[in-house]
Amino acid sequence: MSASPLVVENLSFRYRDRAGTAVHDISFAARAGEILLIAGASGCGKTTLVRAINGLIPRSYKGEMSGRVLIHGEDTTAMKLSAISQKIGTVLQDPERQILGTKVLNEVAFGLENIGLARAEIFRRVDEALAHLKIEDLRDRDTFLLSGGEKQKVALAGVLAMRPSILLLDEPLASLDPASAAETLDAVRLLADEGMTVLMVEHRVEDVLRIQPERVLYMTEGVIRYLGEVAGLSKVVNYREVKLPAEDIIRRAQKDSAPAEIQILPGAPAPRSGDEALVRFEDVTFGYESDVEVLHGINLDIKRGDVIAVLGPNGSGKTTFVKHAIGLLKPKSGRVLVDGKDTREATVAEIAKTLGYVFQSPSHMLFAPTVREELAFGPSNLKHSKNEIETEVKEALRIVNLSEYEQDPPLSLSFGQQKRVSIAAILAMRSKILAMDEPTAGQDYRNYMNFMDSILQLPGFEAALFITHDVDLAVIYANRVLLVADGRLIADGAPHEVLRDFSRLEACRVIPSSLLALNVKRFSETGRFLRAEALAHV
Amino acid sequence: MLVAWRYRQRARSFIQSFDPRAWIMFYGCFLMSTLAFWDVRFLLPFAGITLFVLLTSGVTWNEIRRAFLFIVGFVLIFAFFTFLTGRGGMELYEQEHLIRRLEASFSILGWTPALDITVERAFFGVSQFVRVFSIAIMTILIPYSLNPALYGITFRGLGLPDKIAYAMDLTMRFIPTFSRDFQLTMDAQKARGFELEKIQGGLFAQVRKLGPLMVPVTIHAIIGSEDIIDAMDLRAFGTGPRTWLQKLEYKTKDRILIGVGLAVLLVSLALSTLGLGDFWVPPGLLALAGGG
Repeated sequence: MSASPLVVENLSFRYRDRAGTAVHDISFAARAGEILLIAGASGCGKTTLVRAINGLIPRSYKGEMSGRVLIHGEDTTAMKLSAISQKIGTVLQDPERQILGTKVLNEVAFGLENIGLARAEIFRRVDEALAHLKIEDLRDRDTFLLSGGEKQKVALAGVLAMRPSILLLDEPLASLDPASAAETLDAVRLLADEGMTVLMVEHRVEDVLRIQPERVLYMTEGVIRYLGEVAGLSKVVNYREVKLPAEDIIRRAQKDSAPAEIQILPGAPAPRSGDEALVRFEDVTFGYESDVEVLHGINLDIKRGDVIAVLGPNGSGKTTFVKHAIGLLKPKSGRVLVDGKDTREATVAEIAKTLGYVFQSPSHMLFAPTVREELAFGPSNLKHSKNEIETEVKEALRIVNLSEYEQDPPLSLSFGQQKRVSIAAILAMRSKILAMDEPTAGQDYRNYMNFMDSILQLPGFEAALFITHDVDLAVIYANRVLLVADGRLIADGAPHEVLRDFSRLEACRVIPSSLLALNVKRFSETGRFLRAEALAHV
Repeated sequence: MLVAWRYRQRARSFIQSFDPRAWIMFYGCFLMSTLAFWDVRFLLPFAGITLFVLLTSGVTWNEIRRAFLFIVGFVLIFAFFTFLTGRGGMELYEQEHLIRRLEASFSILGWTPALDITVERAFFGVSQFVRVFSIAIMTILIPYSLNPALYGITFRGLGLPDKIAYAMDLTMRFIPTFSRDFQLTMDAQKARGFELEKIQGGLFAQVRKLGPLMVPVTIHAIIGSEDIIDAMDLRAFGTGPRTWLQKLEYKTKDRILIGVGLAVLLVSLALSTLGLGDFWVPPGLLALAGGG
């Protein structure tokens, strides 16, 4: 067993300020040249395991630790973090939290500078790492101007340049568009094939299965429930907790009863011809700088009953487009009308009564001492009555499954829970349209499916819009899909019209999922797109 | 993620033609020299240097407009309040020569508000404007002109230890990062109906109502710092002497610039020690005010 590059023996850890162990009696060995996929729901202990392996536990995160981690036979307890970091490279979930250099060159060289290598050797290794990931063209770019996918690859290059024998990836796909995720995964497969040991924590199990990880470690509540070949995973996991390929879900779901029919936006009045648009974009162009245009001539109406999925690559202008609808950005030319009023003539607060917008990052908005007060903030600003606020807060908490945390400080919750608080905070405002930017990022499968089901069944909304990299969300929930690339609206129509053109999707860096492929294949039989559980019973 | 100032390489930029260490040293000398004087005759050459550096910097009006107008506006208001109150200047002059006294047409409990416009106050305001304007404009040109990729090596090259030099690098990038986070938070709260301009109540109540802005920005800064520490630890920062990838080398013009900066500083300190360059008012103005 000691011949394995990485051995974890009876590892348990409890954070100093939390009750109960985060991981309990974890033991496994990782082999050279294998990809070990670590899967499990939020809070199952995956990230704690990563921190214990890379040495941040117990050095940066204090608590009670027992058991040990051996790297090439050496116990990490006695090793300095700098020594560990030369053997284990860690890529964090959000590359924004990892990148330190202002230029790509400086970022990739950072670790090498710290271990005092000669300049010539640093340049050689930097170029080698960039070439390995096929991103040589980024070498002299500013890091903060890169797209999400480019940032993730640069963070990976910075780690690879240190030539670690073990690579830890903590949800590396979370912020990537499907094509960038696929490219990252291909690069990881290549590294494993060259002999590196790769441990990858990831919610997007279906995506990772494409590169054929050698084994899967499945955790629940801090313990290992399954460790073995990928083929055995679908037998042990709950297909409602971990996102498996659609074929696997259908096979499993056929044995269960058919899922209840979801009625999307039950309160929205049926659209009538001649209905005035809730939001109208008229030939909108925009640029953050005077000489660079990022939105080009956008024309569209958002009408009652629309559930719109906005798909497109990182940096394509999706968020910029939605920020125009809430009035945070004003068009350079053209105009945006919300409820018939030009956004140039309305404050954001006035528009918020019509359109509630959930930002991508919850940490930019949470401030209140309790979850309850956090949720009451928006409705109070909109001058709702006390009784209304009481009802709205309770309802929003129920939908995001956080009723038991009503009196907790939102900032003490996990990232996934904070994200749900941020969604609930906008739900409580009861705007006519709900707009969400990457609502499922950092959430586990069961949680996001549950709250998407609940949100879209709420009676109060007249329309909903969400920006997502998850094609399956568009397949399951949308009745209209906008495909955006390079600041242009490439396609706008019903999911079965927009999503069936796979070559156009791929040109926009959207990769068809197994669920989409199955829906397209069976469309003549179903007449609409369905979730895998429903397809199992058609 | 830390963001950097809006730097770009500019053709024929005087400030960018020097080694950043040489420029920082010149800037330090300029700063101390300017602070040595209150006499506007001595301060005007420094203002001239500032204008020369500004106009030859290659920074376009579009790039600098907001910062420039903010700083000039701030310095003007600052100088105007100094003129109104006379604060700060009273230590520099003993006597005031009245040009005009403006009195309010009402009294409060027997006290009539009045403003004495004196030659000294007026000229002190002018001196202060020239002094602060010169320093402020020279300072804001640094982020526009110093390559962020060279922050660390610049401070290391000035003799600071590795850790402190890298800390200075991070600090230089904190301000634009804070500004971006503040804007994101402001947008997120506006989307929840929060209107900063409509905050009402007493001072304490108003400060409390800024919580939705200040708490997320502060927490984000703290979490961001922890992330930075983790990211640095995971890549062996601080374990020994580090190699700095970029290499800076002084050229003749850099040595000349440092020499000029040091010479200006020495002369300024000498003049100041000799009592020259103290607050000065044109005698003609005193005569106009009826003084001697």
